[in-house]
Amino acid sequence: MPTIEHNGKSFEVDEDGFLLKGDDFNQEWVDYVKGVEGISEMTDEHVKVIDALQEYYKKNGIAPMVRILSKTTGFPLKRIYELFPSGPGKGACKMAGLPKPTGCV
Amino acid sequence: MGYNPDKPMDGRISDLGPPHYEKFFPPVIKANKGKWLWHEITQPGVLLHKSETGDEVYTVRVGSPRLVSVEYIREVCEIADKHCDGFLRFTTRNNIEFMVDSKEKVQPLLDTLTSYGNKYPVGGTGAGVTNIVHTQGWVHCHTPATDASGVVKAVMDELFDYFTSMTLPAQVRIALACCLNMCGAVHASDIAILGIHRKPPMIDHKRITGVCELPLAIASCPLGAVKPAKAMVDGKEIKTVKVTVERCMFCGNCYTMCPAMPLADPEGDGIAILVGGKVSNRISHPKFSKLVIPFLPNTTPRWPETVAAVKKILEAYAADARKYERLGDWAERIGWEKFFEKCDIPFTEKSIDDYRLAYDTWRTTTQFKFTSHIK
Repeated sequence: MPTIEHNGKSFEVDEDGFLLKGDDFNQEWVDYVKGVEGISEMTDEHVKVIDALQEYYKKNGIAPMVRILSKTTGFPLKRIYELFPSGPGKGACKMAGLPKPTGCV
Repeated sequence: MGYNPDKPMDGRISDLGPPHYEKFFPPVIKANKGKWLWHEITQPGVLLHKSETGDEVYTVRVGSPRLVSVEYIREVCEIADKHCDGFLRFTTRNNIEFMVDSKEKVQPLLDTLTSYGNKYPVGGTGAGVTNIVHTQGWVHCHTPATDASGVVKAVMDELFDYFTSMTLPAQVRIALACCLNMCGAVHASDIAILGIHRKPPMIDHKRITGVCELPLAIASCPLGAVKPAKAMVDGKEIKTVKVTVERCMFCGNCYTMCPAMPLADPEGDGIAILVGGKVSNRISHPKFSKLVIPFLPNTTPRWPETVAAVKKILEAYAADARKYERLGDWAERIGWEKFFEKCDIPFTEKSIDDYRLAYDTWRTTTQFKFTSHIK
């Protein structure tokens, strides 16, 4: 599996650019994903979504369903797409260091 | 404006939906929409629709392999340009239909199609075997237990005469799915070819932490065979899952959810045959197809066992069923024990339902027929 170097840190990722080890997550990772996902500037709202995802994942072992993410952050799905153009799965979960979404996607 | 990767949202067009289908209507279809009086099949693969305005449309149906190249599509477009003013359509079973507005134009079109040899076989109408609805197989999917395109080609080669004729009691729909996700129509087809596994998943404890959401893998199991567990990896205790092998029926759902639980196996994987499904409401209600052959091996590249099994069932049905009787109607009328006898299929315990609502599928009557094909 490929390794990505960014700002002196290295990350093990899969072919879609998701972290293979959630423990590798750090600010450099956020900064790197920001670039590839077409996010010009990190705002408090971005951070709120990332934090909500990580908190839910730590507690439950799964990524939250979209409706739960909307409810806990207060952002409707439309707003989440404005923040993360690739959407909550490919965009936000990747940035938060969660496993790649599976199933028939 | 070309796509600018630095500003991906600039000039982005979205949520347009598909173009409106009326834009692609041949003129005669557009003029007579909602005014059709009757239709008939003038010969295998050729339909005539008559409108109340007096207009006629002749449709020539042609088989396609579904998985096609751009070159193939361009060639189809050339044929449509030459004969149909550039119009054509695809059916819900991935056949191609060329439409012309007069009888004189039919024969030249058929001649052009014949000039390509068997590349564009005319047929698929009436009481025959039309195209096989199928899936991705080893061409593109990561969960298959068998191939799709290869098996379909092998089966259709053998049944080709049924595609170009209308000699069966009723139409026979054959479908294939390469795993029991059953993408497509196998659960409701006259004859269904289904990829199955016969071995439990192998759990990759080294990867599972990073790539799996464990509760999803556990919840994906229809039999509760996946349980949370701990394992040691490089001297560290990690959360993982274990599979109770005696409870596992190899559906592969956990692999769909969790990439660290692969279960594909060259010897274990193969094909099951189901029969008797239908979706129409004609005479009898729609039916699910039922398992009759639990396992046939994956014998690439021609799957002779599968081809032989499908042909045998089809021929037994063709010889014995009444006019208009679908395969499922026939099996239910003569009784499933007679179906197994007439098709010379050994009945195995695998055909006896044992999943939750199984009781209703057992025989709760003394009405049955003695059969003799199994000694």
